[in-house]
Amino acid sequence: MDLETVTERAGPREFGPGDEMPEEYREAATRMIQFHANSEIMGAYIERPFIRQAPSLDRKLAVSAQVQDEIGHGQLLYRAAEELGVKSRERMLEELASGEGKFLNCFHYPLDDWYELPMIMFFVDGAAMRRQATLKRTSWEPYAHAIDKICFEEGFHIKHGEDILRTIATGSRKDQQRLQAAFEKWWPRILQFFGPTDDDSTHGEFAMEVGLKTMSNDDLRNAFLNAYVPKAKKYGLELPEYPRVEYHESDDYYEVYEEDLDWSEFFTVARNELPTGAGQIEKRRRSQAAVEWVRDAIESPGQGGATPAAADD
Amino acid sequence: MKWEVFRQEKTKDYHTHVGNVHAPNAEMAKQYAQIMHARRKPANSLWVVPKEEIEEVHADERGVEMGGTTQKEYRWATNYNTDETFAEEIEDSQREQEAAERDLAEADR
Repeated sequence: MDLETVTERAGPREFGPGDEMPEEYREAATRMIQFHANSEIMGAYIERPFIRQAPSLDRKLAVSAQVQDEIGHGQLLYRAAEELGVKSRERMLEELASGEGKFLNCFHYPLDDWYELPMIMFFVDGAAMRRQATLKRTSWEPYAHAIDKICFEEGFHIKHGEDILRTIATGSRKDQQRLQAAFEKWWPRILQFFGPTDDDSTHGEFAMEVGLKTMSNDDLRNAFLNAYVPKAKKYGLELPEYPRVEYHESDDYYEVYEEDLDWSEFFTVARNELPTGAGQIEKRRRSQAAVEWVRDAIESPGQGGATPAAADD
Repeated sequence: MKWEVFRQEKTKDYHTHVGNVHAPNAEMAKQYAQIMHARRKPANSLWVVPKEEIEEVHADERGVEMGGTTQKEYRWATNYNTDETFAEEIEDSQREQEAAERDLAEADR
């Protein structure tokens, strides 16, 4: 199929492994799905320490279920990407471990304590869910199928995240202060989740043309802010004065003042060069190396091996 | 030789299992599948799969726990009473989970 036909036919779930897709499409889809898969894995690593740090058994069980879900989402997505025939799953996992693979900006920062957890579990996951919901209509069918299952599960993550947020927000004065501090620290990163406005990224336009993406970053950011700013207010969180965010009622859109955000940090993150992000990648690399023997054992059962290393931190 | 047949009703639907056919090879299996399973019911595509290639794990087997037989309500959106209607996508997810929970309860009876 040539690119012109792809653009003409582009629509929800239009193309699958049975179609001869042009190189440009397969590479753009691989880039997008690999990024998504990597983000699921790295998101799971950010949340994982909170299985231990959870303040109750209920929370512990739920956080552990979430981490398990996210790793599963990563696997589903690597499969959907693999079917494009550009990269094997093994190659994508290697790229993630070597620091070549890219993933969401928010997962380059560590979560310092329990008060920061809902920033990821509610706001960042909420932003991701907003984007994912639009991908049910992506043109690469295996991607849409993975998204069906991801969206089914993700509602639990965000509601659990909000439940934690509510518990803290209705706690002591000190709890509320620490929550506000966590919010102020994370809010600028959350605003950068969808990238710079109007720019719509180098690859965005092509992805829209061939139906891989169905909504622009700007529209996604607006939809997200429309739903989540009222939520933040509901729990007594105050939007910091800077970065400025203005709501224009007449046109129902949010203006985020670009110049108030640290874009040089954003692009450092995008190059995997932020020290904390590099630390997260290194953690992932060590875990992957530590369970190498498991993968080897699965690939060639019946052979003895060296004493396994611990897969833990 | 037995072949299991999966039918996709409309383009973009999932393929679902509809039955099986006897046939000596894939070519014949595809023909029989059309006659048996796509003659009356709408069909956009059929998959035929050699039965012996299909592995099964069954809920009744020892040590197998599938489909929410253990108590794990903490992993359902319905377990948390925060408001899901603020975002369409969260509401959709919640509705899907409610439907799945109903199916599970149904299967239990």
